[in-house]
Amino acid sequence: MNVKMGVDIGGVTLKNPVMTASGTFGYGEEYADYLDIGRLGAIVVKGLSLSPREGNPPPRIIETASGMLNAVGLQNVGVEEFIDKKLPYLRTIGSVVVANIFGESVEDYVKVADTLSNAKGVDLIEVNISCPNVRKGGIAFGSDPVLAGEVTRAVKSASGLPVIVKLTPNVTDITKIARSVEAAGADAVSLINTLTGMSIDIEKRIPHLKNITGGLSGPAIKPVALRMVWETVNAVSIPVVGLGGIMNASDALEFLIAGARAVQVGTANFINPSIAVDIIDGIENYLSDRGIGDINDLIGTLRI
Amino acid sequence: MKPETCAKIFSQRETVKGHFLMIVKAPVSFREAIPGQFIMVRLEGGNSPFLSRPFSIYSIYSRGDDTFVEIFYKVVGKGTDAFSRLREGASLDILGPLGRGFDVPASCRKVALVAGGIGVAPLSFLAQRCGEDIPGTEVICYLGAGSSEALAGLDRLEKICSTVEISTDDGSRGYHGSVTGLLKRDMDLYADDDTRIYSCGPRPMLRGLQELLKGRPPGTCQVSLEERMACGIGACLGCVARIRSDGEKGGMVRVCKEGPVFDIDRVEFGE
Ligand SMILES: Cc1cc2nc3c(=O)[nH]c(=O)nc-3n(C[C@H](O)[C@H](O)[C@H](O)COP(=O)(O)OP(=O)(O)OC[C@H]3O[C@@H](n4cnc5c(N)ncnc54)[C@H](O)[C@@H]3O)c2cc1C
Ligand SMILES: Cc1cc2nc3c(=O)[nH]c(=O)nc-3n(C[C@H](O)[C@H](O)[C@H](O)COP(=O)(O)O)c2cc1C
Ligand code: FES
Repeated sequence: MNVKMGVDIGGVTLKNPVMTASGTFGYGEEYADYLDIGRLGAIVVKGLSLSPREGNPPPRIIETASGMLNAVGLQNVGVEEFIDKKLPYLRTIGSVVVANIFGESVEDYVKVADTLSNAKGVDLIEVNISCPNVRKGGIAFGSDPVLAGEVTRAVKSASGLPVIVKLTPNVTDITKIARSVEAAGADAVSLINTLTGMSIDIEKRIPHLKNITGGLSGPAIKPVALRMVWETVNAVSIPVVGLGGIMNASDALEFLIAGARAVQVGTANFINPSIAVDIIDGIENYLSDRGIGDINDLIGTLRI
Repeated sequence: MKPETCAKIFSQRETVKGHFLMIVKAPVSFREAIPGQFIMVRLEGGNSPFLSRPFSIYSIYSRGDDTFVEIFYKVVGKGTDAFSRLREGASLDILGPLGRGFDVPASCRKVALVAGGIGVAPLSFLAQRCGEDIPGTEVICYLGAGSSEALAGLDRLEKICSTVEISTDDGSRGYHGSVTGLLKRDMDLYADDDTRIYSCGPRPMLRGLQELLKGRPPGTCQVSLEERMACGIGACLGCVARIRSDGEKGGMVRVCKEGPVFDIDRVEFGE
């Protein structure tokens, strides 16, 4: 049976609801040997800042129970080099390209968004608001509804592209932040980013990560992510992109049934670099086995 | 395309205490592997251990249409312990060959290998290839370990190298002290332009080697670095080391992609 897999995010049509998550798929080219990148619904590139960033000193990663902690520290080539060196390849792949951006001030976000909007080949902007605002004593933009709204509004007015705001789970009530960015004009929200965690080497009595703390990802966070996605779906009317610990098609289907319009595959790409296409095939098979002709007829059909 | 593949264990045995030689049947693409490259290995299914583990290629060989990859590893934690319990016929997910291997100029006449512990794995493969590809080249291996019982990989080295020099920390065999101390003794044997030095081992050893080689022309020595890895293909930026580009200040460079082999003079080992 021929299944319609296309979904719409902020007016952009994805050929299927499977995207690859920021920071887990490089700039796309790293995966060219391992899967047909053109089959992806969208690819979200590594977070981009105004200037290149060196990131944190190693060790940057440590495995944890059913997951990993990372403190990469947003190392990236910077928006200019991205446009010169990475975007030309991405223009050729035939998938939607999402540029993930971050900054240390509202002005930084605005400049990056503006630069990207003028570069042909970027279809959507995803705003990572999990970063500390250096002007406001380091409080994360994403942990305060007012700051989150402010950065969303600024990026929206600077960018000619639809904007997804990526939410952090390190808050007491994620729906408050979601409502605030919706009111500020976000076209969609994506969640969740990593959960802040820690791990200690008991022999040396030092943290496993040089940065002391890091972001937890992988299957360990999936139930938390799913709960937050479901709450957010019930709180806003813009599309919600679900992610956190998706390892296979059935994990992805849980998020779609909970109401996510699309999903992102993150840490799973490290375990198996061609997993994203297996997930696309798995979703399609699930739908055709059940006689569901359109993915949109499955999204948000959770029975309670 | 060279996707992750499911590979069957052809054989596995403990060579010296805590060190295992595993042979897996691999895709043909592995025939192109060069010494210094590595593979990512993961238990099939399940999330414990969760991430794949990187291992140097110890050797590659073909028999008929089949290609075999050898890895030689030391049990140090959860992942290596789990691998060591696997028997013939068990399946693993493998990805590779990955990374940039050692460069050996065709003009090279003398090769010194400096191996600390299980760092012998990529160097043994290199010794084997030097013998095959640049015949007439003298390959001398300096092998260091804690004690005589821990001299992993010695039997094979003795077959493929012109000479094997041994050091042990406790003096139970060979030179009493570090492998770099042993190399220091012989340094004037390696003064010529047609000599190359290759090394792999614990960081303090590599740092000592860098010290010892100060003043030698760039390119004299290459080392294979080890960092924790998640993806192995350059995507996660988890595995970086600080590497200088041609004398400039160092930047964070991916060990899995630009490495694991680097010129020793470019590595910033830090404190
Ligand atoms: C390119 C490369 C090639 C390698 N080749 C070999 C090889 O041929 N044979 C071999 O025995 N080992 C090799 N290693 C090291 C090997 O990957 C680690 O020993 C292994 O990942 C440990 O897994 P574990 O779950 O047993 O240990 P864990 O439980 O994760 O850790 C146990 C101990 O091992 C150390 N460790 C963990 N990961 C690494 C790592 N990536 N590099 C160095 N130390 C680590 C930890 O600091 C800790 O002290 C290589 C590493 C790299 C990066
Ligand atoms: C190594 C690593 C790097 C990441 N880098 C970024 C980033 O640059 N920007 C961002 O918004 N999220 C980043 N993330 C978060 C992921 O996009 C994702 O939100 C998170 O890992 C949860 O999904 P997962 O469990 O499927 O990995 C990173 C995650 C990992 C593991
Ligand atoms: S292990 Fe992921 S970039 Fe090197």
